[in-house]
Amino acid sequence: MFRFDPYSPANDADPFPAYKTLRDEHPAFWCEEAGMWVYSRYADIVTALNDWQTYSSAKGNLVDELPNRAGNTLGTTDPPRHDRLRALIQKAVTKRALDYLEDPIRAVCRKHLDALKGRKTFDFVNDFSSKVTVDLLFHLFAMPTDKQEIVRDKAVLMVQTDPVTRKKGPEHLAAYEWMANFAAELVAERKKNPGDDLLSNFITSEIDGEKLADKEVQLTVTTLIMAGIESLSGFMSVMGLNLADHPEARRALVADPSLIPDAMEESLRYNTSAQRFRRCLTRDVEIHGKVMKAGDFVMLAYGAGNRDERQFPNPDVYDITRKPRGHLGFGGGVHACLGTAIARMACKIAFEEFLQAFPDFTRTQQDLPWVPSSNFRSPLKLELAVG
Amino acid sequence: MPTVTYIEHDGTEHRVELPAGWTLMQGATLNGINGIEGECGGSCGCATCHVYVDEAYLDKLPAPSETEEEMLECTASPRRANSRLSCQIKAMPEIDGIVVHLPETQS
Repeated sequence: MFRFDPYSPANDADPFPAYKTLRDEHPAFWCEEAGMWVYSRYADIVTALNDWQTYSSAKGNLVDELPNRAGNTLGTTDPPRHDRLRALIQKAVTKRALDYLEDPIRAVCRKHLDALKGRKTFDFVNDFSSKVTVDLLFHLFAMPTDKQEIVRDKAVLMVQTDPVTRKKGPEHLAAYEWMANFAAELVAERKKNPGDDLLSNFITSEIDGEKLADKEVQLTVTTLIMAGIESLSGFMSVMGLNLADHPEARRALVADPSLIPDAMEESLRYNTSAQRFRRCLTRDVEIHGKVMKAGDFVMLAYGAGNRDERQFPNPDVYDITRKPRGHLGFGGGVHACLGTAIARMACKIAFEEFLQAFPDFTRTQQDLPWVPSSNFRSPLKLELAVG
Repeated sequence: MPTVTYIEHDGTEHRVELPAGWTLMQGATLNGINGIEGECGGSCGCATCHVYVDEAYLDKLPAPSETEEEMLECTASPRRANSRLSCQIKAMPEIDGIVVHLPETQS
């Protein structure tokens, strides 16, 4: 009998064959391991993302939700409160509002690339993408730089799940708690001495004349740090992997860097690091011959929808000329990733600089170590040999 | 299924049927219609799905939210009285047959 186990290391490494079986044979699948339904077809996922009234985020959006988080972050609040919370940050992270970040991002990329000069091999994740991401986030939030390393380690740990117990382990929960405390201190400090950074603006905001609750601010800040570090780094790392595995695409980008954005969009479709999120049904739904009950959770497998041949022809081919509009790499609907413009800008600059410094590289590991996670998928290490 | 007609800046017309509840932005991107980008994924966060709504249908749409109003200030092509973001317009029976004109540029 077919099983889909989002906790197995085999799934972390390669979920795509199982996704195909899900799409073709079990489009509404009850996943024993996670205790929830799974949507894998593009159209079903889009329908769920559009219908937040039926597919609620208020009971959490992570496949394995962290304690006390649901209801207190942007991603775990439904409209109309969600829309008002989001509006507080949205305008500051639109493409046009981000021009001021271009030079700092480029400088950060060059700094870390300079440190790699002369090396024959290095780890793209730990020597480049993570470092760039952490520097950028600390700059954006004006956070104390002596905490960079520990914040990064905790952000990476808190998104993971234990492959044996199929739950968040004590180390993952401890990392989350550490981050929540770090955020609480940061919030308290910014309340006393607000700056003109993104965090200060959010922390001092009001909705309809009402101050945001401390818990709401702290957990939203926690999530922004988690997403800013883990998700952006994951996005860059899978892009690096794709360019290592597809030399013809890499050569095309080296010859014409203006193609980098197209390659990024295709990476977001082909193997987005944001593989699976969840919603909770507010009413019974009948679909593909199954009856799902109000209160049931539904996993939306973006990574499966992005490989749905019903939407994207030849979905298993990494094709940088595809221009896959409407992909689910950032989710979609009211909860689509808040950081899309920052992520695209940072990734574009990072690869402009990286490919200039290292136009030619191959990966040296046959099998990659993958983040153990029911939500995210990216390599923990990506060893490259250059030249 | 509600029908939507998209008219590109060069006059090319596309008539498509959308599942109820899908947005006009999705209708365009999913049918390969040029002229709508939808960079933010439909969260009313980028103004790259800007359309000019045919006057006959304008009053049938719910008024834009505060966020949409703010984003409409950021459109790449000029904002007009009938400007809307197509990610905020859901295909519903009440607007069956709606016609939208796509601007010259989105970014």
